[in-house]
Amino acid sequence: MYSRLLRNDILKSKAITLTTMLFVAAAAMLVALAAILVVNLAGAIDTLMTQAKTPHFMQMHAGELDRARLAAFAEQNEMVADFQAVEFLNMDGAQFLFAAPGSAGRSLADSVQDNGFSVQSEKFDFLLDLDGNVITVLDGEIYIPIAYMQDGTATVGDTLTVAGKSFTIAGVLRDSQMQPLLSSSKRFLVSQNDFAALQQFGSMEYLIEFRLHDLENLGAFEAAYTAAGLESNGPTLTYALFRMFNGLSDGLMIAVILLISALVIAIAFLCIRFTLLAKIEDDYREIGVMKAIGLRVADIKKIYLTKYVAIAALGSLLGYGLSFVFRDVLLANIRLYMGESENASLAPLLGVASVALVFLAISAYVNSVLGQFRKISPAEAVRFGVSQEKSGGARRFRLSMNKLLGVNVFLGVKDVLARKSLYATMLAVLVLAAFIIIVPQNLHNTIASKSFITYMGVGDSDMRIDIQQTDHISEKAAEIATAMEYDPSISRFVVLTTQTFSVKLDDGSEERLKVELGDHSVFPLAYATGRAPTAENEIALSVLNASELGKTVGDSITLLINEREITLTVCGTYSDVTNGGKTAKAVFSDGSADTMWSVITAELTDPSLVDEKISEYAGKFAYAKVSDIDEFIQQTYGGTIKAIGKAAYAAVGVALALTVLITLLFMRMLVAKDRYAIAVMKAFGFTNSDIQAQYIARSGFVLSLGILLGTLLANILGEALAGAVIASFGAASFKFIVNPAFAYLLSPLLMAGVVLAATVFGTLDAGQIKISENIKE
Amino acid sequence: MNTLIRSENIVKSFGEGDEKRNVLDGVSLEINQGEFVAVMGPSGSGKSTLLYALSGMDNVDRGKVIFDGADLSSIKENELADLRRTKMGFIFQQPTLLKNLNILDNIILPSMRNGSKNGAQLTEKAKLLMENTGLAGLENRDITQASGGQLQRVGICRALMGNPKIIFGDEPTGALNSTSANEIMTILSQIHQSGVTILLVTHDVKVAAKTGRVLFILDGKIAGEYLPGDYDETRDNLKAREESLTTWLSEMKF
Repeated sequence: MYSRLLRNDILKSKAITLTTMLFVAAAAMLVALAAILVVNLAGAIDTLMTQAKTPHFMQMHAGELDRARLAAFAEQNEMVADFQAVEFLNMDGAQFLFAAPGSAGRSLADSVQDNGFSVQSEKFDFLLDLDGNVITVLDGEIYIPIAYMQDGTATVGDTLTVAGKSFTIAGVLRDSQMQPLLSSSKRFLVSQNDFAALQQFGSMEYLIEFRLHDLENLGAFEAAYTAAGLESNGPTLTYALFRMFNGLSDGLMIAVILLISALVIAIAFLCIRFTLLAKIEDDYREIGVMKAIGLRVADIKKIYLTKYVAIAALGSLLGYGLSFVFRDVLLANIRLYMGESENASLAPLLGVASVALVFLAISAYVNSVLGQFRKISPAEAVRFGVSQEKSGGARRFRLSMNKLLGVNVFLGVKDVLARKSLYATMLAVLVLAAFIIIVPQNLHNTIASKSFITYMGVGDSDMRIDIQQTDHISEKAAEIATAMEYDPSISRFVVLTTQTFSVKLDDGSEERLKVELGDHSVFPLAYATGRAPTAENEIALSVLNASELGKTVGDSITLLINEREITLTVCGTYSDVTNGGKTAKAVFSDGSADTMWSVITAELTDPSLVDEKISEYAGKFAYAKVSDIDEFIQQTYGGTIKAIGKAAYAAVGVALALTVLITLLFMRMLVAKDRYAIAVMKAFGFTNSDIQAQYIARSGFVLSLGILLGTLLANILGEALAGAVIASFGAASFKFIVNPAFAYLLSPLLMAGVVLAATVFGTLDAGQIKISENIKE
Repeated sequence: MNTLIRSENIVKSFGEGDEKRNVLDGVSLEINQGEFVAVMGPSGSGKSTLLYALSGMDNVDRGKVIFDGADLSSIKENELADLRRTKMGFIFQQPTLLKNLNILDNIILPSMRNGSKNGAQLTEKAKLLMENTGLAGLENRDITQASGGQLQRVGICRALMGNPKIIFGDEPTGALNSTSANEIMTILSQIHQSGVTILLVTHDVKVAAKTGRVLFILDGKIAGEYLPGDYDETRDNLKAREESLTTWLSEMKF
């Protein structure tokens, strides 16, 4: 009996059944993909980091290196399993000239990455080929980072000329620590002989690397390293950070897929709820009769449950099948950068489990919606055929008291108020759609805006000059400052100098802290809490430092300056992606500690001069690295910003398509349900356009509520949600930068346009309803 | 007397191919202003179809219906809607009320179609009609809180709101007990006496006996017409009319 009922019911409502099934399939597919990707990504990162033997602790250092002292430290420290100091020969991007056979060359002059050379490590931190093997490189050969193959800069077989010496690109390399875009350096692998030949053309940096017996001791080891006062002129990075960097871009993709699947599941649920409520309303009398003749609620439920279990089962199977079609495309990036995952075989299993979860969730949801049957009184249902539940609000809303609204608008609004639970579904879809339209746009707008970098530890300026790895940094900075002083095209600039001080911790131990000194009000950052330091006794900490030192705004911190203990008050915290995220800012001046590096940031009177100024300053001050802030953002985050921009437009399209689809289905279904009421109204002189106006009033009313709630939700919940995405860029706090014309004008207009069009189209049938056929006794 | 409705040879069929059947098969008739007419006939004879055709609620396949000078087959949908609202009233076997609206709102709904400016006036008028039909005090009740007889009276009040020239009734007492049916017929008689034309379909001799003319329809054709003469509202007169109508109907093989 059930199968016959099922077949009849599906045949009667083909469109909505198919739509519901497709949403279930999409949800199942996305959840399965997310599960498969998570397993593969986690596994692949582990595999890569295991094969490459990534260091557990790494201190970058520019300047003199005391190998013997470091070796002695490693020898004496029981936590250390292995130690090495790898050379990294930093070279100006302009020195790299790629050329495919028979074509003009391209250089890395515009690259904001620190490009350099290394030889294969002996003990750990290996550079791997695409099969995961440690590369052995021959003289005259070079292996390049995967990213340069991915962006089309070069391909295997091309020639790379560096400082006049030609190399054949023998392959690409996987670098477990410098591979991610967020890592600012990129390693090229050459042979020992070639490395020696190149040495005179670049500046040497060292990667002081340790592997520990037990990764859990990392914190203690870090403290011991700092306490020993060893080389530390550069950022410090740890195993956990490498892991996070490696997972970031694919992790972001998985997060987006999960977010979309959550939305699609929500929509599938809404579709089901809507059709189910409508069906219950239609079958109200029959359900009452079934109860009256003694059928149990469970028996009646089974009739309805059968259909949705069938839809959920078919949809889930279809979705799981589809996940196989798309998974290879999505896995390609992970496979290329990190290789195969060791637990890849687990992925399909987990996929099945997650699809099963979707199936069970839908079945449970249908079951709970059908719980309404318990509330149906057989007497009432048989007598009136409609639910007697009516809200007080709708009852008080009377035509006889109405002075404001036209009768059609009144009837539309009244219908929405009287059948709240049915319209709640449409409202939820519209709220979701508004949310899907606005949040990605706001997110894109926020990260694409120039001021976004102020959330990441970089001031909003035009040009940045770094002076490091050289002598007499202060004098050189002063020299550039003087030049800028007399340069009419520089509107303002600031010299910030980074020095290292010892911090006295509460337990009496000491730790080294890099503090950037200077006027931080010229190009201010966005502070997560508090504000920039303005007084001599104030200090602002990066979020990472603040949490590590356990300090919040208002706390005191003791620095050892010139062998004297000076107490400073923490006045603010800020997010920072520069220098491993561990920085501090203060305004006091001190000549006692060595300057580690200086940064001069400047704003031009005419920003279009930036290229000209960069080459001017780079030419004049050969020891300085001059870069364009826009270019920096573009190269570091450009790809992501563009991807999010595309995704944001896609989201608008998807949300609008969804709105049209659901509104259309909803209206057609309402017209079908309301045939009798429409016939009655037509019998008493209401025209087709009156009827259509009533439906437009219904959608318009729900639409206005939907847009209002959706926009509110987008700005409150959306900001929090986008915050999670943005946090993965390294920004701890942020505020949406909203484009009001889009968020408050264009997006409501777009939604209103499609909803009204769908309503008009969906209610065309109302005009065809014949009074005699629907009213005749 | 002025002719309010004239039908000329109207044909209406249902079904397709072999199953196609003329439910109205060339019906020509005239209804004059101020008349009280009943249409009778066996089930499936085309009574209701005739009512819907004459009121323009259903199109005819062939022939013409002229209502108050207007050819219903040639006027536009919106003009037809206006006619229904301003010149016609309808009462159906079931109350045909909107469940979202309370009793008062259901009554004033069609009249509010032209705007809510004179809402207070319309409400007053509706309340007066409710009082006259014994519905006073039920204004704000939901339609589920009223009896079948009360709901039918609500339908009558709604039909009267637009001061119609004619009221069409499709078995208006068909779903009621005899007491309620009598009450409805009394109200309809009063309405007729106030000058409104009434055309109703019924299978109830007691109802038809209270009208001024009875048309008998069989197989889609008008098979006969009966004029019971003047009705003086006395019990004896009514009894006599019922008997003579029953006799006539049996002659018509009803």
